[in-house]
Amino acid sequence: MNPTLSRWNPRRWYWELRHVWHDTRLLVLTAQIAAIYAAVLIPFKVGIPIIPGFVELRPANVIPIVSSLLFGPAAAWGAGIGNIIGDCFGTLGPASLFGFLGNFLYGYVPYVLWGNLGWLSSGKEPTVRSWRQGLEYLIICVVAAIACAATIGWGVELLGLLPFWLLTPAIFFNNLVMGLILGPPLLLFLYPRVKQWNLLYSDLALESSERLRRDNIATPLTDGFDPSTQFPSTSSAFVSIQDLTFRPTHASHPVLHNISLHIQRGELMVLMGRSGSGKSTLCYAMNGLVPQFVQGDFVGTITVEGHSTTQSPVWEQANRVGLVFQDFETQLVSTNVETELRYALESHGVARGFLNEEGFRHQMQETLDLVGLAGLERRDPFSLSGGQRQRLVVASVLVREPQLMVMDQPLTDLDPAGRARFLQLLDQLKAKGVTVILTEHGMEDLMQADRVCVLDQGEIIWQGPPHDMLSQPDLAKHHGLNPYTLAECFQGHTTKALPATVEEAWQLADDLGLTVTASQASESIPSKIPLPSLATVIEVKNVSVQYQPGVPVLSGVSLSIQAGEFVAILGQNGSGKSTMAKLFNGLLLPDEGQVIIMGHDTRHTGVGQLSSIVGHVFQNPDHQIFAETVRKEVAFGAQNAGCSSEECEARVGEALEAVGLTGAEDQDPFSLTKGERQRVAVASIIAAKPSILIVDEPTTGLDAEESARMMTMMRTLNQQGHTIIMITHDMGLVANYASRCILLQHGKILADGSTREIFSDPELIQSASLTLPAITRFSQRWGVTLLTMEEVRKALQPL
Amino acid sequence: MNLSLYVDEQTWLHRLDGRTKILCLLGLFALSLFFSDPVYLLGLTGGVLGLVIWARSFSNVKKIWILLALLLVYNLVLWPFFVEGTIPLLTIGGLTIMQEGVLHGLGMGLRLNAMLISGLVLLSTTAIEEFAESSNRLGVPQSLGFCVSLAFRWVPNLLGSIGSVIQAQRSRGLDLQSKSLFGKIRQYPALVVPLIGHTLRQTNLLAMALESKGFGPSQKRHPIVVSTMKGGDFLALLAIVSLVIASFWMRLHGYGSI
Repeated sequence: MNPTLSRWNPRRWYWELRHVWHDTRLLVLTAQIAAIYAAVLIPFKVGIPIIPGFVELRPANVIPIVSSLLFGPAAAWGAGIGNIIGDCFGTLGPASLFGFLGNFLYGYVPYVLWGNLGWLSSGKEPTVRSWRQGLEYLIICVVAAIACAATIGWGVELLGLLPFWLLTPAIFFNNLVMGLILGPPLLLFLYPRVKQWNLLYSDLALESSERLRRDNIATPLTDGFDPSTQFPSTSSAFVSIQDLTFRPTHASHPVLHNISLHIQRGELMVLMGRSGSGKSTLCYAMNGLVPQFVQGDFVGTITVEGHSTTQSPVWEQANRVGLVFQDFETQLVSTNVETELRYALESHGVARGFLNEEGFRHQMQETLDLVGLAGLERRDPFSLSGGQRQRLVVASVLVREPQLMVMDQPLTDLDPAGRARFLQLLDQLKAKGVTVILTEHGMEDLMQADRVCVLDQGEIIWQGPPHDMLSQPDLAKHHGLNPYTLAECFQGHTTKALPATVEEAWQLADDLGLTVTASQASESIPSKIPLPSLATVIEVKNVSVQYQPGVPVLSGVSLSIQAGEFVAILGQNGSGKSTMAKLFNGLLLPDEGQVIIMGHDTRHTGVGQLSSIVGHVFQNPDHQIFAETVRKEVAFGAQNAGCSSEECEARVGEALEAVGLTGAEDQDPFSLTKGERQRVAVASIIAAKPSILIVDEPTTGLDAEESARMMTMMRTLNQQGHTIIMITHDMGLVANYASRCILLQHGKILADGSTREIFSDPELIQSASLTLPAITRFSQRWGVTLLTMEEVRKALQPL
Repeated sequence: MNLSLYVDEQTWLHRLDGRTKILCLLGLFALSLFFSDPVYLLGLTGGVLGLVIWARSFSNVKKIWILLALLLVYNLVLWPFFVEGTIPLLTIGGLTIMQEGVLHGLGMGLRLNAMLISGLVLLSTTAIEEFAESSNRLGVPQSLGFCVSLAFRWVPNLLGSIGSVIQAQRSRGLDLQSKSLFGKIRQYPALVVPLIGHTLRQTNLLAMALESKGFGPSQKRHPIVVSTMKGGDFLALLAIVSLVIASFWMRLHGYGSI
């Protein structure tokens, strides 16, 4: 694009609108805006019908204006497409064409007008912070609303459906009111964040032009890269990384520093390291996303099967390198399993007439057999379990038969059964000779790996077999990884190599003449600290819940929880854990039975009232954070509870101190790390001073240090008198922190008792598809059930 | 959560080529626009309802029957105020309702119903991917079709996220039961900002995931199977073209208007 062209110039409009379809990021942004617009239209209807069923006062109509000011032409297409998609849920007709055009204009006009109104323009960024910006915003709202309303009104009258003067004012009024009331606060919230994430249209267009220019002239992307280099003569490696250093454009330090690594064909390698150590960046470099997509200063070379990853576009490398990202939900693009695989094969470089229907079916069948999804070809990905969706993502990559699979934290969101199935898949890939690189925070499950590579601050600081990693707990701790606790138990007992498996630990104990006896064990087990109060805070009486008729999620459940308990709710995905937690704060009401929270029957007490008694920390902190500062975010719950501003301020201070974020009051919560955002979420809950705290998978996605910090905080809150209810799959967490377990299966309570009682029955644990921690399995050889490293260390004594 | 109206059946209508279904839909829209006489439009509405039943998709009509009924009533009530006539039907408080206005309103209500039900036939028998591919073969740019199917796929994800956001904020005491308009509007940022923020955080990741799967924005996709028009498709197209021509002729000769 010629940057000298005025924004009034139609040639510029043409280029910008067309360019959206030539850049993946702009295309994704367009689809996201369309999906948000369509999705928000459905549940957020205010419900004041102007013409019911046809035009309603819809807050969603602010989205095109706000998106337009942030994302320009992508918002125009997004608004038009979003409206069509809304129509695809039941109101598709010829008027949809005019709906598309009207919304397209509604999403484009604000972008064209902002900053181009001569002396009426404020000359500032598109937010409403001064009267000049307010005036400019008012003008563009009026013009955009007129353009949209007139287009739709004219079109609908042209079709003879409704008179122009009936529909047009209604649409104009709707758009204008929503734009004026909701637009300014949304822009205040969104503009700084979008700018921080480099997603403003001006930034994207610049980056995209640069990328297009480089693709077109096909110059080497790297500094110091020799195009003649095909494969380093020094190695016969399948993947070869030589002296790689990478600093992203906006970063002050390199995220990868002087990396050299050679990986053999068929090798299974695990990359480990604390959050921010460079694991994901290294994964993205394997298929050229770094530096082609994530741009910056790139020095060094990476070759896969002899091909440099920087010399061809990313999409051309998909046949060679398959990349599976951590958030697998968002990587599925089709409406059934078969089309998901078909899509992958129809993309660049595979089909081109080489694969016919029969060939596709054969390849699909082979891939689905491999990942264990055969027979599910017609299923909507949404109807699959989390583990199945994860394997579908892997299948959609594998179907192109890449020889290198790179997976970023593939085990994070899986329950124990899903993890077991996935580990089996890794064995199958290895047997087929596929080279696999994956990142993980924990090592215990990945003993079949050939090599572990530890990164810290962008550098490789250790590599070796997994066994060596597990048997060196100090190494793991030093680099922010979870040490193998069973190895830690033997530190100080021996100068020999520490154990890396339960079997090795038994053998070492025998060699050293160590044993665990019942008397030693009972001494090592801390005596039960009497609960400060035995008052029942939660009472569930014969509760049943069903989302669909005839399919109970919970069935005849009864339990009671006392004040000050630390309870873990365990079970496979779909066993009813989250449903039960939502009963405790009234988010769900039982179809049968009764839930009583500190004397309040949830059927007669609102969620708002219960929120000051029961706090619920959801798994994903991003589903609740919205304020501009940490202070406002944390104060939100207390304000809703009706606290005065002085009281709110005091509570914010206390809550931030409790989560270790004192001093972060004025920071933007969106700029914090995930671990810190999770702590802000906890602070915002405890600021309302609930007696009971529910935490859903509190450590998912956090590294070892962040997890330890989070759980220490939970223990402190428990010691301060809060009742803690934790939903988790992590049996190590349960063993270390929870005093009581409630084991759910198929919506019923399978077992309820102290953690030690429940863990002392391995068959019970196995029947719920769960796995005991290594520490516990080790101790059970001697007929006792120990839960923590400290207990085992105390109990291990010479014969 | 499955919001799609597509019904996975193997009827004759399902098996038609996507292009045929889109062209036939345009033909049905044209038929709706030719006539304004409620009798003709009632016949057309009955015909498209028959197609829905043939496609074993009547459940989709049930989903929107309230909308269809409301549209009929509103047109019936509103149009008499905009259409002049010569035959008085009834007088309410000094306002005379003309027969032509009522008939026009009824006709427009039936026209809208016929159009929406025609749209349902396409949506019930065509998966979004087939719709995108067929549109492409009819001249719609490939990227646009892909973007539509991508957005369509993400709507249920986002609705799931909206559910989570609502639950998270309610758990922090946000009162969504407020009856006042301004009360509801005040809550809006607490609900929409996390949704948009969470979605935009994923933009780069999604774009990287697409390119890693072989998607190049300027690259042409290569369908494994290129569907071809078969006898049934030609028959359907012949039928719709004949109907359009016949209706056009009838309209020129004064049939079908009030």
